[in-house]
Amino acid sequence: MLVIRPLQQEDLDDLYEMAQKAGKGLTTLPADRELLQRKIDMARESFRQRCAPEAALYLFAMEDVEAKKTVGISGIQARVGLDEVFYNYRLSVTVNASSELGVHVRTPTLHLSNDMTDVSEICSLLLSKDYQGGGNGLLLSRSRFMYLDEFRSHFSEKVFAEMRGVSDEEGNSPLWDALGSKFFDMEFSKADVLSGLGNKAFIAELMPKYPIYLPMLPSSARAVIGRVHDNTAPALKMLQAEGFNFNGLVDIFDGGPVVEAFIPSIRTVRDSANRHVMVTRKPVELDVPADEKVMVSNRSFRDFRVTTVPATCVGPDTVKLPPEVAEALQVESGDSVRVTSLKDRGSRSLSGTRGARQGRRLGA
Amino acid sequence: MWLVRPAQLDDLKQILTIAGTQGARLSSTLPKESDSLARKIELSVASFESSLPEDQAPRFLFVLENTDDGTIGGVAGIDARAGSGEPFYSYRKDALIHASHELGVSRRVEVLYPSHSLTDQTLLCSFVIRPELRGTEAFELLSRARILFIAEHRDLFTSRVVVEIQGVQSDDGSVPFWDSLGRHFFNMTFEDADRYSASLSKTFLAEMMPHNPIYVSLLSDAAREALGKPHDVTSGNYELLRREGFQEGCYLDIFDAGPVLEARTDSLHTLVTSHRKILHGRHDDDGENCLVAAGEGADFRCVLAGIEDTLENELKVPVKTWNLLGKSAGEAVRVAPL
Repeated sequence: MLVIRPLQQEDLDDLYEMAQKAGKGLTTLPADRELLQRKIDMARESFRQRCAPEAALYLFAMEDVEAKKTVGISGIQARVGLDEVFYNYRLSVTVNASSELGVHVRTPTLHLSNDMTDVSEICSLLLSKDYQGGGNGLLLSRSRFMYLDEFRSHFSEKVFAEMRGVSDEEGNSPLWDALGSKFFDMEFSKADVLSGLGNKAFIAELMPKYPIYLPMLPSSARAVIGRVHDNTAPALKMLQAEGFNFNGLVDIFDGGPVVEAFIPSIRTVRDSANRHVMVTRKPVELDVPADEKVMVSNRSFRDFRVTTVPATCVGPDTVKLPPEVAEALQVESGDSVRVTSLKDRGSRSLSGTRGARQGRRLGA
Repeated sequence: MWLVRPAQLDDLKQILTIAGTQGARLSSTLPKESDSLARKIELSVASFESSLPEDQAPRFLFVLENTDDGTIGGVAGIDARAGSGEPFYSYRKDALIHASHELGVSRRVEVLYPSHSLTDQTLLCSFVIRPELRGTEAFELLSRARILFIAEHRDLFTSRVVVEIQGVQSDDGSVPFWDSLGRHFFNMTFEDADRYSASLSKTFLAEMMPHNPIYVSLLSDAAREALGKPHDVTSGNYELLRREGFQEGCYLDIFDAGPVLEARTDSLHTLVTSHRKILHGRHDDDGENCLVAAGEGADFRCVLAGIEDTLENELKVPVKTWNLLGKSAGEAVRVAPL
């Protein structure tokens, strides 16, 4: 059984091993013990509400309960751009036109922007290779939307994700080579690591501040603006299925797109409903296909937990949980939990039934 | 003999021929179309006659005439105020330091800023001469006669004089700077843009030019190399202007990135070394060959003549040139050594 729960001190070793295996490209989780320790500390402070709500970084671990092993991590940054400046390029259009000449020229232009300042970000997603597939990635990513939904006052109205942009096997980014490198004198991978280490001040100091006219960049660089790395394409698709859309911003280094969604319109959030726990002695086959699974959260701010059960466990008012699941979620019969299908099931979605809608209203 | 005098409408045909022999770049100050050239000459005539409305900036056009057969060998102009009431565009090349204390990195970043700073400065322009006359005394006469005109009519001109020098253009007619920058925004060839800048109002520049500064590092290699470089064809003129005291500043032409040379008007070599003298006669043609100018406004004339200086502020000039200058003994002329 896989359970999502707040990141803890005991996760450090597994986390470090995962980060090592992931290699370059995952800048939010570098293989650096000190830095990982700092992240664990921050997560603990955040869940215990010992830091300012806007400074919070909620990191979740995915634990294989039987193996007692941390196999994935995901996170929510409550607000970006408060301590340090958060940069993106806004892809916009400059039009030059002359009626005298009858010319009308559109020039795609990158404007340096801080538009994501004060917005919540979902980040730091990493799933161990051995656990990929079977909807595990969906659970790791989408459980965050349940958290965002439950505790909306802690987050902004919308949430965004930065998607990794295009780079080749050696880690060279066409946009970086054409643009960033002219100002930084540094390899992409190094700049990316520095930025991931939180060493972001240097960006402000070295970045070009004036707009960049795209026709002045080579076509190889223009082609990757707003495009994701092949490895990230599934993640993008997953977010799009949840209602996330490209918002016109791209990463200043590799041109990867920023996607965003308003929390109430995220599919996981729209389809979720409250149920009461009914612990059952009858054995339940937990291992079902991903599209027959529902996520169940314990609705706890401080010790938030999510796991999946078969959709057949969900009744009009209750959800039947076997004892080991109830224990993993730290709930008992009668407790209120929130359920939502792991995948968009169209007409069969939970809130598509009359009872579920009512249940949601009663629970809210 | 070579004579520099104000251009007349009668010169139109000959000027057109000369303008046609030149590369594209000149058309912005010397139109190749008969109608617009005629308008330019009319404006010049009015400028010399001081019959322009007060709010209109004078634009003077001079011709180099061979007095033996009446052929025109070249044209040169002065715009009293660059832009002539409209904005005058250039790029100002400037530098920013992008430094990070944290990383111990410091980097010089060059930027081209769109600028109107040269607007209303006196501008030497429209210089074109028959190729066979390049590097001759006639060449120098045509170019420097303008400075003598400025010296004689100092009040009409500003304290600074600027000249745009034609920038780098390949043999196939392509302009590296234009191809790397302007082309993207104007969506037209260099020739068209240059032609429009002569025939249309300058509004189209305001409409089509990128408004934001341009990072030099994002230009093509060829365009970067061309920044501030004069075209080979201008080398004679360029040298002459350097000797006159013109220097490269930070301004570049917006089309081809050719350098804009600047000088303080009162420090111009020809202006400083020229003197007003009283005209006297001599019959010999030898002696020091000098620039001799005389006449106000439409009567302005400038020739090369062998002269003899006297101590009494008198200048002995061969009598045969008096006619060309339109002056006779006892009248004032201005002389400058070659």
